[in-house]
Amino acid sequence: MTLRSRTVAIGLHAVVSLWTLFVLLPVFVMVISAFKSQAELFTRPLALPKQFSFAAFERAWGIGISGFLFNSLLVTALSVTIIIFASSLAAYILARSDRPVMRWVYVAIVAGFAVPLQSVMVPLYQLVSGAGLLNSRLAIALPYAAYGIPFTTMLFYAFFLEFPRELEEAARLDGCGRLEVFFRIVLPLSGPAIASGAIFQAVFNWNEFILALLMLTKSDVRTLPVGIYGLTGQYSADWPALMAGLSIATLPLIVIFLLAQRHFVRSLAGLGK
Amino acid sequence: MSHLEVRDVVKRYGQLTVLSGVSFAAQRGEFVVMVGPSGCGKSTLLRSIAGLEEISSGSVSIAGHDITAAEPSDRGVAMVFQNYALYPHMTVAQNMGFALKVARRPRSEIDAAVTRAAEILRITDHLGKYPKALSGGQKQRVAIGRAITRAPEVFLFDEPLSNLDAALRSQMRIELSRLHRELGATMLYVTHDQTEAMTMADRIIVMNGGNIEQIGSPLDLYNRPATRFVAGFIGSPRMNFIAARVVRLSGRTVGLSLGEGRPLLDLEFAPGETLPVLGDAVTLGIRPEALGDGGEIHLADAEVAVVEALGRETLVYSDAHTLRTTDSESLDGYFAALVPSQSDKRPGQRVSLRADRSAFVVFAADGATLHDASPVHHE
Repeated sequence: MTLRSRTVAIGLHAVVSLWTLFVLLPVFVMVISAFKSQAELFTRPLALPKQFSFAAFERAWGIGISGFLFNSLLVTALSVTIIIFASSLAAYILARSDRPVMRWVYVAIVAGFAVPLQSVMVPLYQLVSGAGLLNSRLAIALPYAAYGIPFTTMLFYAFFLEFPRELEEAARLDGCGRLEVFFRIVLPLSGPAIASGAIFQAVFNWNEFILALLMLTKSDVRTLPVGIYGLTGQYSADWPALMAGLSIATLPLIVIFLLAQRHFVRSLAGLGK
Repeated sequence: MSHLEVRDVVKRYGQLTVLSGVSFAAQRGEFVVMVGPSGCGKSTLLRSIAGLEEISSGSVSIAGHDITAAEPSDRGVAMVFQNYALYPHMTVAQNMGFALKVARRPRSEIDAAVTRAAEILRITDHLGKYPKALSGGQKQRVAIGRAITRAPEVFLFDEPLSNLDAALRSQMRIELSRLHRELGATMLYVTHDQTEAMTMADRIIVMNGGNIEQIGSPLDLYNRPATRFVAGFIGSPRMNFIAARVVRLSGRTVGLSLGEGRPLLDLEFAPGETLPVLGDAVTLGIRPEALGDGGEIHLADAEVAVVEALGRETLVYSDAHTLRTTDSESLDGYFAALVPSQSDKRPGQRVSLRADRSAFVVFAADGATLHDASPVHHE
């Protein structure tokens, strides 16, 4: 390595390290604060706790985090399942059809990706309200699914374009109909695309705040972000409990991310196809 | 009655005609090889028979049933693909039994069919493995096994050996011939490799530009090519093509001048052979093994340009600048001769290109064969 390229490499690493610190420091503070006492949290905010106490976690769990966690799990699982099912089927048909109209359908789906949530929030609220779904888990699971489908369809579309046709032809000769080809051959071999799409959408839906705040006003249906937000007013005195609640909310995502980092990166790279 | 019958099959993609009215029939148990350069339509024809391509017009029937409009799986065909097309998420046994599973056949029947096919192909040890754990040759066996378990009326092969290395390819050729004999099945095999066609086929179909040039047994095509295209395609090394002109006609004797006016060659056309017209430009064909420094006719003096030792024989390319070729795939003036390897030809050496009168083939300007060579009789 020449001196010049080494200098560039060191410079790049320095920038990335600084950025990483910038992103991870708040997460670090959140986690260590959860183990501290109220007094320690304010006197020594950046230091490690003197002793690790799980008292804040117990208090947080006691004020309803478990219910929020359950709601978040349910909403995320439902929306991601709908997204994967609808997107993969739609993308397969779009990728395999040579009818010109399908190109326009694809463009329309991709255009849906560009509609900002804020611009349709009011009509969306009226729609959900009119359907009598307010304050139910479906009130956010269905809009989440609708919002996730365009991106995931693009992801699957790129994947299916490169899927070996000979496998599908072999399956047709083996007696599979179109749907059987899809469900018995194509889908079982789409693991990378499914994982990428599912993880990306799970993270997004798990963290989503605005729609959940709008649609869910009753405490028993709230998801984690809104639920914890609701705690700030009531329990503003108890910062360690709040931090513990946030840590619990973040933990599943961090675990998923660590386990499936590769797929997560691929889903982003898939955009460039 | 023919087992597989293809009648006037036309395939168009928009303006482009890929198959322009192709007809042929194969008898039960026959091994038919379709051969031709890339883009000649042979793969499209195979895929049309398999039902993977819809034909624009014409008909296909198998065992007396018209299957032109039938689904691929209802045609009684099984296909072996060039890239094997094994399902990566299934084991070898599951791959081979998949068609029967889709057809909801009882477990015992599937197992029996898979076991039998695995025994025929000697892959019993690999049944539990996934395709990614197999070598290229093993994968191709599994792909063939998958076809066998379906017990089809007709086996279709789409260049199945082209991804294998040379040694494995010649071994698989032998295996396929053995398999064909054991199963007694009707097989239609597509390749661009004329060696595969010559060694395995009962009959060869030579295709060119969406048409059938000639159908016949391997030796038929070699000894009596119907067109210049077939003569050039069948046989390795390739036949030499020399530009000639008809300068004399007397009875059935045709006098030809070569290259720059000389030498003159008289050929006796058999009754039934079409005589050219005086002044016609024709092509003289001669196989490399018939060209050498012996023989009654002296064609030209030449200089050895390239010597390729093949082991048993040596291929000598000589530059005879007085002769012209009509072959777009050869260099002008370069002619190939296949000589015994004891001969000590060196580049730069002067040689005389000679051949026996009986070795010449004459093609008309449109490529049709006018005069055949007499088959060579070895002692």
